[in-house]
Amino acid sequence: MKASLGIFLLLASTAAFADQKGAPAARLHASAIQIDVVKVGDVSIPAEFQYAIYERLIEQVRAAGIFKTVYRSGDKAAANVPDLVTLKTAVDAFQEGSQTKRELAPVVVGNTRVDVTAQVVDKDGKTVFDQKVAGKVRIFGENLGATNDLAKRITKLLVANFY
Amino acid sequence: MKLNLLLFSFIGAGAVFAQAPAAAPPPNIRHVIGLETIKRNESGHLTIQNGSMQFSAKKAAATVPTASIEDIFVGTETTQAGGKAGRAVKTAAIAAPFGSGKVLTLMLRTKVDILTVVYRGADGGVHGVILALPKGLAETTRTQLVAAGAHTSAPQAELKERTQQ
Repeated sequence: MKASLGIFLLLASTAAFADQKGAPAARLHASAIQIDVVKVGDVSIPAEFQYAIYERLIEQVRAAGIFKTVYRSGDKAAANVPDLVTLKTAVDAFQEGSQTKRELAPVVVGNTRVDVTAQVVDKDGKTVFDQKVAGKVRIFGENLGATNDLAKRITKLLVANFY
Repeated sequence: MKLNLLLFSFIGAGAVFAQAPAAAPPPNIRHVIGLETIKRNESGHLTIQNGSMQFSAKKAAATVPTASIEDIFVGTETTQAGGKAGRAVKTAAIAAPFGSGKVLTLMLRTKVDILTVVYRGADGGVHGVILALPKGLAETTRTQLVAAGAHTSAPQAELKERTQQ
């Protein structure tokens, strides 16, 4: 009797644990997204980085195919979409490295890094998603490559949170 | 007679060489990102005429009306010279033994100007075009664009400062 109770408890706890682990986070749905121009605030970042992040985000999010339509910042047609969400990206920190240093030094130096806060808000202005993301270039590639890495990471987060 | 003919040939040849030098070919400009009809990192030529900025690559072209340009920024970037061939050489250099390829990495460095052109499309959407130009050409292009009707918010002095960074 004791043994069967023990087995039952063990099975029940295992099932409960498995249920907890496997439960997918609630994914959101929207037919369209508008991508805002990256806000830089007081952070000193060259304009080419600001607009490269913006353009790469548009490119990557379109390629991911999670939203039926991807609107650019200021697109008038976005106003008519009832379930529109907006991706707002703000730069928190920027460190410009050197491609030459990266490729010549035997240790990792000359990294380029962009830290941002990516936020998705719905039409009522309610934040549905908010996360800090960093884009980097560690060894090979131009400094602007950090913007590509960042856009890929943000898109991955959108894919994980939207269907 | 023979001497005369020889002299005439010399003079004729001299006249051909003395003609106005052939116009320099337009500089190669690399499209980093922003023009939807042009592939990333594709090279082409930039022309500013009839109130528009046109980027022509091998197979496609993109036109931006200068009146729709809201801002222009000039920056610099150290990048790899030699275009696609340079990239291939560098990839080979990475595999070179005892880090000998690093010398090649140093030799393949070049500084370029980065021109960022922000404009609004017909639907009101913001576009950011990023172009890599030969060093010293971005300021001239910016001046040409402003003369052709483009708007810019940053004063010239500030842009010059940024270019020197």
